[in-house]
Amino acid sequence: MSESTRLREPRTTTPMVPSSASGKACCHTGPQQTAEADAPVVALVGAPNTGKSTLFNALTGSRVTMGNWPGTTVEVSRGVWPPTLASPTCGRENCTCDHNQDPLAITVLDLPGAYSLDAHSPDEQLTRGLLQDGPVDERPDLCVVTVDASRLAHGLYLVAQIRELATRVIVAVTMSDIAAQREVTVDTALLSQALGCQVVATDPRRRTGLHALATAVRAALGDPVPDPRPTPITDDALVLDDDRFTWLSDAAEHATVAPGHDRLTLSDKVDRWVTAPVAGPLLFLAVMWIVFQLTTTVAAPLQDALDRLFSGPVSGWVTSLLTLVHLDGTWVEGLLVNGLVAGVGMLLTFVPLMALMFLLLALLEDSGYLARAAVVTDRLMRTMGLPGRAFLPLIVGFGCNVPAISATRILPDARQRLLTVLLVPFTSCSARLTVFVMLGTVFFRPNAGTAVFGMYVASVALVVLIGLLLRRTLWRTMGAEPLIIDLPAYHVPTLRLTTAVVWQRLRGFLKTASGIIVATVCAVWLLQSIPTTGGQAFGQVPVEDSVYGVVARTIAPAFAPAGFDQWQTASALLVGFVAKEAVISSWAQTYATEQPQPGQAGMLGDHIRAAFEQSSGGHPLPAVLAFMVFLLAYTPCVATLAAQRREVGLRWTIFGVAIQLATAWLLAVAVFQIGRLFW
Amino acid sequence: MTPAMDLSSAPLDTPLTLIEIVGAATSRQRLATLGLREGATFRLLTRTIGGGRIVLVGGSRIALSKDLVRQLRAQAA
Repeated sequence: MSESTRLREPRTTTPMVPSSASGKACCHTGPQQTAEADAPVVALVGAPNTGKSTLFNALTGSRVTMGNWPGTTVEVSRGVWPPTLASPTCGRENCTCDHNQDPLAITVLDLPGAYSLDAHSPDEQLTRGLLQDGPVDERPDLCVVTVDASRLAHGLYLVAQIRELATRVIVAVTMSDIAAQREVTVDTALLSQALGCQVVATDPRRRTGLHALATAVRAALGDPVPDPRPTPITDDALVLDDDRFTWLSDAAEHATVAPGHDRLTLSDKVDRWVTAPVAGPLLFLAVMWIVFQLTTTVAAPLQDALDRLFSGPVSGWVTSLLTLVHLDGTWVEGLLVNGLVAGVGMLLTFVPLMALMFLLLALLEDSGYLARAAVVTDRLMRTMGLPGRAFLPLIVGFGCNVPAISATRILPDARQRLLTVLLVPFTSCSARLTVFVMLGTVFFRPNAGTAVFGMYVASVALVVLIGLLLRRTLWRTMGAEPLIIDLPAYHVPTLRLTTAVVWQRLRGFLKTASGIIVATVCAVWLLQSIPTTGGQAFGQVPVEDSVYGVVARTIAPAFAPAGFDQWQTASALLVGFVAKEAVISSWAQTYATEQPQPGQAGMLGDHIRAAFEQSSGGHPLPAVLAFMVFLLAYTPCVATLAAQRREVGLRWTIFGVAIQLATAWLLAVAVFQIGRLFW
Repeated sequence: MTPAMDLSSAPLDTPLTLIEIVGAATSRQRLATLGLREGATFRLLTRTIGGGRIVLVGGSRIALSKDLVRQLRAQAA
């Protein structure tokens, strides 16, 4: 069983740590990078924006594995809390621990943010399943519940519910600095007394209080599981809720010293502008423009440089090495240079883009702005059944679909995330732009700009129409819940946390996307290398005589109703399935001409014009428009597929490809058949 | 005793007491876990785009959409 599909081996709920004579573990002897299979499991739970994931990162550093939880698309991070951090001090006056005994590292699970165990969202369902509904011997040994000190009662409902279960609980009070700004102080001793469990003040952003938390966790793991909090014996949910609210209100009141009324803060003053009817959307558009600009203009030169590095010097070095061993000019050179080097090169060109996107997302999330952006765009996106924050990945998609798919993680609801993942490929990425510009220059001059702009308008229309279509068919049952967003206080993002999150996400992308991208590029090379006629050597065959050429010829007739059934055009679309950047170079290769300079048509333009003239029966303009629409709507690239598979699984990725191909073909045929009546 | 009103017609920056949640069955529990339950004292901080409000309750700032704002009835505290 994989690491992401189980917690650990079942075992009893007796004390979990290596015991000293006192029954409590305390000291440590050295670092341990991996948790044993029977290591204690501590689950971090808490409402969103209470510092839970920050605490997770502080405890585990980079020792993190990510994985979608079985049956859901909710992500759970698993990390190792090493004994150097988990047991820094004994905390007991007369330590009786065996100092030669290596204490166990602790496995820490970062569960998604949840306000309660009532399973309103997939995130809460997961938390409930793990803590309440799942088998007892697979439950975590201890829950650390993070609670925001500046709004104590807000986090205690979850504590109330978890205290009703037979599990060890420690409450970690976070955000004490923000509470202090609001003149709110929390007495952890009084709170501990009222809640009936250990309470520790900690600030994971500044890494204070972690040792106290470690000591408390070690001590609690050595104790037997406490009795659940007594509740009224009734099935009436309202009575149970009343009991919980009374209990938590008493506890919060008992332990908190606060001014008589909530003070207005700088965040409140900022929010008056950020969510206002006119200023809010303007600011949002400005932020989105910056995100779009950064992901295209800053990352593009880095991508180009990496592309040049791999197609130039790296390929040259490999060829030189092969020359030394007399393998130049053979199929081995083709496999290494056009397969492996090209595949790895393509993968690495995405790294700066993805890193930048993850960085911007982390900054927007961590600063607190993303929650406000969701308020601003909520009404517009709601027409498609999506929450406001779905706007961001769709905007990012106009730069590149790959990071946009990953950006859907900001959506808390799995169904909304899935719908957005299916819509992102219809946003026209910058790779498609290069083809639109080239075709616009060849066929629509002097109105090339208008033609390209028209494709962007078509892209927006496609997103809205497909969104509405899916919403009214497959997603009919998706509830249109009214907007309720808990707005976190604004934060200055911390470098350490931001870096950790970016690295974690980037590593996840490379891990899951690298195989499929490199394998596909190699597969295309292989198909282009296998001859179909006698007398030609493997790897030394013109494209039209290769298996790839035969495939292109076979599928070409399918495009006859759309006016572009030349095999060279079909071949370009096949390559475009791997990457849209390769469409123009594919034409250049098949027509055996030089690739034109950007913005110029050159000889290649003449070939393409002649091909569309011939295949459309004298209606090249509607045919090329149909081709552009097909290019806009069908699968963006193999990297997007890899990202989709990572986010929503293979089944939904295939479903998405089917929708893209069907939409692309139907629209292309409609455009050509209607267009030929006028042009 | 001041008359009850829905939040769309309630004044900003004034202490209010929530007296009733009309309908909104699915939202009731979520609002309660955020501290917005019948009897709670709160303030409206600002109007947001689309006719929603930001509510300040128990130290939490909660953005509510227009349709939900109309389902909450309150009176001056």
